[in-house]
Amino acid sequence: MPQELLRIEAKKPGGNWTDPAVQFRKGVFCYSAAAKNVRALDLPNPRDWQPFDADWKLPPDWKRILLEGMKERLEKYRSFRLFMDICVRCGACADKCHFYVGSGDPKNMPVVRAELMRSVYRRYFTLTGRIFGRLAGGRELTEDIVKEWFYYFYQCTECRRCSVFCPYGIDTAEITMIGRELLNLIGCNTNWVLEPAANCFRTGNHLGIQPHGFKDSLEFAADELEEITGIRVDVPINRKGAEILFVMPSADYFAEPHYYTLLGYMMLFHEIGLDFTFSAFASEGGNFGLFSSHELMKRLNAKVYEEAKRLGVKWILGGECGHMWRVLHQYMDTMNGPADFLEEPVSPITGTKFENARSTRMVHICEFTADLIHSGKLRLDASRNDRWRVTYHDSCNPARSMGLLEEPRYIIRNACHRFFEMPENTIREQTFCCGSGAGLGTDENLEMRLRGGFPRANAVKYVQEKHGVNLLACICAIDKATLPTLLEYWAPGVEVGGVHELLGNALVMRGEKPRTTDLRGEPLSAEVTHA
Amino acid sequence: MQVVYSFGAVGAVMVAAAAGLVIGGSAWIAVVAYAGFAVFLAGFCYRVVQWAAAPVPFRVPTTCGQQTSLPWIKSAALENPSTTSGVLGRMGLEILLFRSLFRNSQAGLHEKRLILSEQKYLWLAALAFHWSMLVILVRHLRLFVEPVPALVVALARIDGFFQLGAPDFYVSDMVLACALAYLLLRRFRDPVVRYISQFSDYFALLALIGIAASGLSMRYVTRVDVVAVKQFALGLAAFHPVRPAALGAMFAVHLTLISVLAAYIPFSKLMHMGGVFLSPTRNLANNNRAKRHVNPWNYPVKTHSYAEWEDDFRAKLKAADIPLEADHATRASAD
Amino acid sequence: MASSNDLVEQWFAQTLESFPDLSARFLAEEKDRFRNPVGHALHTSMAALLQEVLGNMDAGKIAPALDAIVRIRVVQDFTPGEAVGFVFLLRSIVRGSNPPRPAMIEARIDQLALMAFDQYMRCREQIAEIRANEIRRQTRARPALQRK
Repeated sequence: MPQELLRIEAKKPGGNWTDPAVQFRKGVFCYSAAAKNVRALDLPNPRDWQPFDADWKLPPDWKRILLEGMKERLEKYRSFRLFMDICVRCGACADKCHFYVGSGDPKNMPVVRAELMRSVYRRYFTLTGRIFGRLAGGRELTEDIVKEWFYYFYQCTECRRCSVFCPYGIDTAEITMIGRELLNLIGCNTNWVLEPAANCFRTGNHLGIQPHGFKDSLEFAADELEEITGIRVDVPINRKGAEILFVMPSADYFAEPHYYTLLGYMMLFHEIGLDFTFSAFASEGGNFGLFSSHELMKRLNAKVYEEAKRLGVKWILGGECGHMWRVLHQYMDTMNGPADFLEEPVSPITGTKFENARSTRMVHICEFTADLIHSGKLRLDASRNDRWRVTYHDSCNPARSMGLLEEPRYIIRNACHRFFEMPENTIREQTFCCGSGAGLGTDENLEMRLRGGFPRANAVKYVQEKHGVNLLACICAIDKATLPTLLEYWAPGVEVGGVHELLGNALVMRGEKPRTTDLRGEPLSAEVTHA
Repeated sequence: MQVVYSFGAVGAVMVAAAAGLVIGGSAWIAVVAYAGFAVFLAGFCYRVVQWAAAPVPFRVPTTCGQQTSLPWIKSAALENPSTTSGVLGRMGLEILLFRSLFRNSQAGLHEKRLILSEQKYLWLAALAFHWSMLVILVRHLRLFVEPVPALVVALARIDGFFQLGAPDFYVSDMVLACALAYLLLRRFRDPVVRYISQFSDYFALLALIGIAASGLSMRYVTRVDVVAVKQFALGLAAFHPVRPAALGAMFAVHLTLISVLAAYIPFSKLMHMGGVFLSPTRNLANNNRAKRHVNPWNYPVKTHSYAEWEDDFRAKLKAADIPLEADHATRASAD
Repeated sequence: MASSNDLVEQWFAQTLESFPDLSARFLAEEKDRFRNPVGHALHTSMAALLQEVLGNMDAGKIAPALDAIVRIRVVQDFTPGEAVGFVFLLRSIVRGSNPPRPAMIEARIDQLALMAFDQYMRCREQIAEIRANEIRRQTRARPALQRK
């Protein structure tokens, strides 16, 4: 019978994970990095190739390069060596990965993603693996494994959710990061990571916007703000002697809905009279080096301290961004510090000392704003956000690599009336990734992203149905770029915005004209306008 | 297939134990025990030193709660520690109570019935196994130390609280047996865990089951001569192995399996017993921005400096009225 | 005839066979709708669809249920035929339960299958559309981009 035939065709055996064959079907992988971008960053093996090509044009001694690279990293990273050794395969992580939950592909279970690397480690770096090979869980390093690594290490958003549940704290992100670093050694990288990185290296930001364009963008934002509020805000750029350098992800000034968050920052800084400057050189807080190699991360991050030192500021304030804060919080001071040319950050408005940032000397804008609100320095009219029923998405990096959970919630609760949490196993340290982080957020990879983002969107849909939620607030530039797409597909009707967009809407500024629209240009409801 | 090999390997060890006993007597057992523990000690130390020798270049704790930031926001001292005492607490919870594994668990009401998810049992079984194993190991001290420490006596008394049967039935024996059975069944039954299981996983479980079974049978069934065992054990511990009366094949199997498993530890995932203490995502405080972490191999990298950048964009910077450091190129322009 | 609950379970189980074995088990057994959103969506929507096939064939109830299932399968590793093929599985299941008026039920299942194909195409078109929207948002024409 036809229906029986159909069933047999559709049947997919689980198979054995040790078989490395992968199929590069369009829609579920990222394209290779263009040679010019590889060259711009002086990375190895620039060439024209694509993952679906049979011949990846690897260097002739690719195997030696990979194994030597692995050896070097085993000696340099305790995390890597330990995580290669101690997994007991208890399976606790298996269903914690959004890609596994959304795709059902067993190799997306964190334990198996790591085993892809571990099996090679065992074969070449352990006694039992060298002697017993497959019996000891070892796999021979072949070109197929390189392809498999590429497929699955660029199918991990380094969100660290699995590591929350692992009894040994094994962090797949660490393994993926090393995996990508190794792939980079033989020139297997993706354009969506390396093009922004190359742009950032040259011009200072991901899109390659040059200094005059940067200035135009900010001036344009000031014009728009003037229309909305009747107030002209200053746009200081590269101003020496400012007290604070403000660094944000570049998407804030070129993409939507990030842009409304930028308006929020600018209003806030004006209202409190902050002595600050933007920088056209450090015009990017984001760091796609994180998605490529530790070295590239350090190369791209260096400009933040360099610029702070040059401008002679006292400390640095950072905007809303997820992976940017992973780098700033966990790597910057170690890589490019010590920041002894800066001062321990003190809020010039409230006098609060940010003790938690006394070494790195960089404060998260949510910490800064929460302190302002708590000290009663801001007048907020939450009713201006009444068109929104808000939920908050914890972005992976601020949640699981910082613990920045309450500050943004505090701001949201003060800036709007209707706030609803998603179910507890989908927020805070258990938050589900957007499915597009760590350099996966490109349009050619959209179907994979829609799979990986489904667990997140599913929880959004739940609060949409239950509480009528229509805005997802977040503090991550990648979220703001990719969640609108995701929600358009999975939970249409829910928009995405930044926390400081909500703050900007609610902020009552001295000398402002009666507001008729919010920052998106949407009319405020009549009662609010006349209140 | 991995299961078959594992069964085979454990079986082979048992056969070898019995054969060795026949051929070499208790001297053979002593040799195996010494060899096993020598490999264990040397291997274990080697592995731990190898880990410890690898630097921790970055401070990368996984944070599972609110950070320490503003004084009026309550931070999660144990889930996201910013102090050494907090880290100790976190590690304590992790090592003694398997905190992270517990996070997995979810008791929920589904269709009006309370359902403990599969993962809850994993946490329970893992905890039961490790703790009962510890109790049993400590109880075994009475065979190696004379006089028997009061702590060991007390522990045995609590453990044998029910005073069922003769000799006293130990709760830990029962718990260990059940936990091991569950863990093995889970590997067979749960398709996800079966998919990821390897030789090493089955071998360790089967060896432990063999050890437990032979131990239990000596205590409750074949009733081994405890005095003779103790005499032998004391001799072993004092590096003066004595030749005791016949201890039986079961004893040989028990001790050989233990020795083989001990020797296997450094080559296997069982090293997690040492590794758990060293995990950088757990044993570091999340005080990254408060206290600088030093990377011992930090090296200079090629960057695009401000001066180069200004040279690249000087004309455009000028046109846009953005302040400059120098009016003229300080190096050959690349723009 | 078998209870509609039994039929749903059969239908669900057979549909899950299109996933790798171990994932099928996870999808079937994990009951938390947030831990297992795919399994939850498939199960609840299939129950709703079956109710309509055996009941009133209310288009207003069929559309969202069908959408929930097809929307997921469109982005997973399935061919278009595999993605909507789950509807046909219902034929033999229902037939085996000796329903009253079998011809009508079969006709409804055919209708459901056609609706599933339509839905599949709509989702495909939507993916193309949201891809374009995303690119537009990411390069929202700020002056920065106009002046290279």
